[in-house]
Amino acid sequence: MTRAAVSTADPSAKQGLRARVVLRRGTLDLSVDIDARAGEVVGLLGPNAAGKTTFLRALAGLTPIMAGHVVLDGAVLEDPAVGVRTAPEERSVGLMFQDYRLFPHLTVLDNVAFGLRARGVKRSPARQSAMEWLAKVGMADAAGVRPRALSGGQAQRVALARALVLRPRLLLLDEPLAAIDGSARADLRRDLHRHLSWFDGTCLLVTHDPLEAVTLADRLVVLEDGHVTQSGSAEEIGAHPRTRYVADLVGVNLFRGRSAGTTIMLPGGETIVAADERYHHGEVFAAIHPRVVSLFREAPEGSPRNVWPGAVEVLDAIGDRVRVQVHGPMPLLVEVTPAAVASLALDEGGEVWAAVKAAEVVVYPA
Amino acid sequence: MPLAALAVAFLALPLVAVAVRTPWGALAEELAAPGVLAALRLSLVCSLGALALSFFLGLPLAWVLARVPFRGRRIVRALVILPMVLPPVVGGVALLLAYGRQGIVGHLLEQALGITLPFTTAGVIVAEAFVGMPFFVVTVEAGLRAMDGRYEEAAASLGAGRWTTFRRVTLPLLAPSLGAGAALCWARALGEFGATITFAGNLPGSTQTMPLAVYLALQTDTTTAVALSAVMLAISLTVLVVLRDRWFRLP
Repeated sequence: MTRAAVSTADPSAKQGLRARVVLRRGTLDLSVDIDARAGEVVGLLGPNAAGKTTFLRALAGLTPIMAGHVVLDGAVLEDPAVGVRTAPEERSVGLMFQDYRLFPHLTVLDNVAFGLRARGVKRSPARQSAMEWLAKVGMADAAGVRPRALSGGQAQRVALARALVLRPRLLLLDEPLAAIDGSARADLRRDLHRHLSWFDGTCLLVTHDPLEAVTLADRLVVLEDGHVTQSGSAEEIGAHPRTRYVADLVGVNLFRGRSAGTTIMLPGGETIVAADERYHHGEVFAAIHPRVVSLFREAPEGSPRNVWPGAVEVLDAIGDRVRVQVHGPMPLLVEVTPAAVASLALDEGGEVWAAVKAAEVVVYPA
Repeated sequence: MPLAALAVAFLALPLVAVAVRTPWGALAEELAAPGVLAALRLSLVCSLGALALSFFLGLPLAWVLARVPFRGRRIVRALVILPMVLPPVVGGVALLLAYGRQGIVGHLLEQALGITLPFTTAGVIVAEAFVGMPFFVVTVEAGLRAMDGRYEEAAASLGAGRWTTFRRVTLPLLAPSLGAGAALCWARALGEFGATITFAGNLPGSTQTMPLAVYLALQTDTTTAVALSAVMLAISLTVLVVLRDRWFRLP
């Protein structure tokens, strides 16, 4: 597993976030580098307990870091090495909690006005600004009600207004849509995208939903077990997954082995033959898309260079395709047409042969 | 079922008896007697004083117990709860030994500041606070624990400093617990007998509170004692009504 530091920001640009967060909390050992420009939305993707929320809390100042630094728009917010630690309330950082945490004893309007009031704005102008933001998120009608009367989606809009009304330079969104179900989710995602496109500060968005990550973020960073395992655009990550988690996320078969010429030796003794000769030695990844795998009832003759036996484990209809889990020495996710399922008479537990042309195997260095 | 009914009767009958025997017609007259009025006023002053003292000292204590992890926290909590189970007379003796004129702190208070607590109105307040404050601390601590700091974090992330957060988030959210704790503490202080009579004595006008007056009246004039009891019973019922949401909500 590569622990890649992410550093795509232009070093001359002072606007934006430069963060190296090192801390330990329970069993979590967090060590994350992230740089992000102002105006950029970085999606932080990762499995549960990977440290995503802890990382956001550290940037907001709610959890102290043990080493590293947090620099926002050129100003050092935290750096234990030189004894700098700015209190959370002094940071121009807006944090939208996963559970929103709207104050139950205040009206929606006073919730949104809270930050302005805390920063010394008089009641009437604070309420006026709050009202403008409530209108922007489409919640002006609910200004007078208490949060307990709101639906999940409405609470999310209010929480977003409450964070944005302060015009933070860094906006942290922790699973902004996780608490929303079904139909409301698409609308909220679209609206969130609209607000983020206006937002001129830096935005970090935590999610474990790849669709959310792809639609809302300009760039993705994958966090696993406290470390960055991969980063880049959604296309790059989807084409060249580097961990089991990412491969499963994008639905690709991922193998790691040692390359010798065009043959890749896997730890279990199986081999994959690839046409690509660029990476002819050393540790490599081989990615095989489910659609390039063909299934046969009898061992096929002729052109395919990779043929593996197996047994059908699970059949799943996904849109107009059928997803087949093939169990065997080379576990494979395969996508075929319903017609193929019928003509091969595939059923769960049935013996099959999986074949992949050498030219279809995508190889890249590990 | 019969045993449960018996239990209800056992608990409720004495209260009914007070209501039955109360001289309702002459109640105003009984209460207007000079000694009674003085005791009533003193009880209010002292119980509210004890409540103020419990609030002032008990809120920071509840905060520390709920939010600040430290070694020996369980021991401190046990000490705080102890007056709730301690016989009040023993509490009074303990107060004398600590804050009495020959007490380990009392003689210093007297020498250095000229303050004497035993057998004074201030002494009544100390005795009542000693017995009542644990109820306040325990109730408020439970309220603070239930809040677990989530909203304070949200306030901090919105730019609110400690004081603003405390004033605009913690305190309002804690209000129900503060109210319940204050009601319990005040009711306990109002009814305090043992520690008060031991530590502060029974001097009409300066340390003779309502419970002491009831006890004294019972020796001479039963009607006055019953009238005073009826007033205190009414106060207790009022406290129950105030706390109804907290205690009578069945699961």
